[in-house]
Amino acid sequence: MTTFLVRRLAQMFLITLLAAFVSYLLFYIAPGGPLAKLAEINQGGRNRLDRDAEARIKKTFDLDLYQVPRFMRWLIGHPRGSFVIGGQEFFQSLQVGCLKEGRARLVYADGTTVETNCIEPVYLKDLPDPQRRVGNGVMRLDFGLSQQILRDRPVMDLIGSRIGPTLWLLGLSNLFALIIAVPIGVISAVKQYSKFDYLVTTLTFFGSAMPTLFLGIMGILIFALTFKDLGLPYLPPQLAESNADAVVPLLGDIVAGSMRDRIWHLILPVTVLTIVSLTGWTRFIRSSMLEVLRQDYVRTARSKGLGERAVIAKHALRNALIPFITLVVGVIPALFGGAVVTETIFSWPGLGRLFIAALGSNDYPVLMAILLIGTILTLVSYLISDILYTVVDPRIRVS
Amino acid sequence: MTATTLKVSSGASKEGLVVQPESQSTLVWRRFRKHRLAVISGVLLMIILVASLLAPIIAPFGRDDIDISTAARFAPALSRTPDGGLHLLGTDHLGRDVFTRLLYGARVTLIVAVLVAVFSTAIGMVIGALAGFYRGIVDTLLMRFLDFMSSIPSFTILLILTSILITDPNMLPFPRIWLDTLRVTMLLRDMQEARTVAVILLVLIGFGWIGSARLMRGMVLSIRETLYVEASRSLGVSSLRIITQHVVPNAMAPIIVSFTQDLAAAFATETVLSFLGYGVQEPTATWGNMMKLAEEYIFEQRLLPVIVGVPILICSLAFNFIGDGLRDALDPRLKL
Repeated sequence: MTTFLVRRLAQMFLITLLAAFVSYLLFYIAPGGPLAKLAEINQGGRNRLDRDAEARIKKTFDLDLYQVPRFMRWLIGHPRGSFVIGGQEFFQSLQVGCLKEGRARLVYADGTTVETNCIEPVYLKDLPDPQRRVGNGVMRLDFGLSQQILRDRPVMDLIGSRIGPTLWLLGLSNLFALIIAVPIGVISAVKQYSKFDYLVTTLTFFGSAMPTLFLGIMGILIFALTFKDLGLPYLPPQLAESNADAVVPLLGDIVAGSMRDRIWHLILPVTVLTIVSLTGWTRFIRSSMLEVLRQDYVRTARSKGLGERAVIAKHALRNALIPFITLVVGVIPALFGGAVVTETIFSWPGLGRLFIAALGSNDYPVLMAILLIGTILTLVSYLISDILYTVVDPRIRVS
Repeated sequence: MTATTLKVSSGASKEGLVVQPESQSTLVWRRFRKHRLAVISGVLLMIILVASLLAPIIAPFGRDDIDISTAARFAPALSRTPDGGLHLLGTDHLGRDVFTRLLYGARVTLIVAVLVAVFSTAIGMVIGALAGFYRGIVDTLLMRFLDFMSSIPSFTILLILTSILITDPNMLPFPRIWLDTLRVTMLLRDMQEARTVAVILLVLIGFGWIGSARLMRGMVLSIRETLYVEASRSLGVSSLRIITQHVVPNAMAPIIVSFTQDLAAAFATETVLSFLGYGVQEPTATWGNMMKLAEEYIFEQRLLPVIVGVPILICSLAFNFIGDGLRDALDPRLKL
């Protein structure tokens, strides 16, 4: 087990590193960036971006550094200056970047001349500079500052403010889906080919083919807009809280921002997401249960004279739920990623919409944070489900 | 797998029984026909596809024609223009005919789905078969890559990639002939539109082949251990011939089923991308970006989301039903 854990953790670390590299590459090939935007705004007028201003901006975002030191600083927050070993500085004059580009001829005291493409080179010893922002690096979960959405606020703050609504939305819908899917799947499998089973298989088939897009928008159309017109107790079409107090038929006054208000706003999106996860899970439980019911040990249990209830609850269900672990644990990264489509439809202030907003405004630090944390959580959930497997099912050994 | 029907011949011939073999394809077709919903879905999809291919002939208006008469913004279904033209399904926020745009949109949406499914299945099959058959370094690299892809949130990466590439579609040097082909088949207005569609195609195929490759590799790994492959090898049959004559035909059933699933997935992904605003861009019509606009103006024109949503629903259900029907027809034991 220990060797397994060590190897898996090492593997996870490598994959995270690789994912960080890939996301940095995406960052690097992306058009735009702070300079392009500013150059665009200032074109033609008197406020043209001059070389000093350009250098200052480059400095702030480490754009003047070469790729390797820039990537290292982004990844782990180092190097931050020349290396100091035992009070002595090393590699002080190692060139790590170029602040102002241009042809230059350097004439040294001894008469040798060197042609360079850089007027103002950046050396390792120049790096400790209050103008330069350097965080602790993404590997230590410091994603720096947001560039657009909440300018100059730490990305982690932004994520922290959005994670609540997403956790509520996805946590509740997955919980409901779980509570409903297990009994329905089990009954459907136990009474295979019954009317109930046909109903369940048909409905889940339709449900899994149903685009979330369609489901969500029809939900708004019917339960928010049409119900309101008809004077029925309607549901809010968007957001997580009302901006103003509302009077709803049958439900009475709903004070903006109150507990009732929040629950009222949760109903529609939670229902949509519950339906989405419910259909897949029910089908999964049903087929896994059917498989287990055909096993020899179930027949043995029955032939011992055990009651049907005990056979299903104690012998069949417990084994049928083993593969279900992967699905349930797989929810962990989804909890973080948020439901992009559903959150967009319902203007839900969660992580999914933060992601779409960051895409729209090219806020790359936010995007990278969401991508990397998503990767780490996916890896962690794989590890958890592997470990849980061995705990639940002694037949499975880690290797 | 080849079933045989036994027919008692009417005449008292010497054999008494005539064995009439039934080919695999007729057998599959006979089984598929039994799945009524799948057949209906197939017919519906065919109708939509043919209608979209005939779009320039059927459509009452041009794709981007704006009706500038006063009541033309969000005109209800079946309303008429002053000069007698009929807006079968009404108009959108700019006064463009919705029916016309749905037809043109179907063309883009469905062709993209088909192209993505065809290319990702083909690429996945080749890579998966090579990796599974020859093992070695190719296989190791592929498996490591697949592991990596399954541990990153791929939809997140896909969205980031398309959003970057779409802001500057000139970044990728697509051959002119590809763009021209896309422009002509999808009736796009200019090269810029073709470039965006090409970007979407590229990204969707780039993420789409992975599933087929994994499936194909698994199939090949089990087939290469079978006796008939061993027999062929001992007869001195070349590897290439074994792959094309034995491995591929035997892996076909699950590949076809996964192809229909790819089709459904490509359709869904393209629609969602366009809906989120990172797919094919306006004014090119796709069902996804029409849905986005319909959703934006939901308070002004209630029925528009239904009008645009129903075709999306129908196609999504149809792809799934056909996949289901094909799975039952090809191999009833098959479960993917």
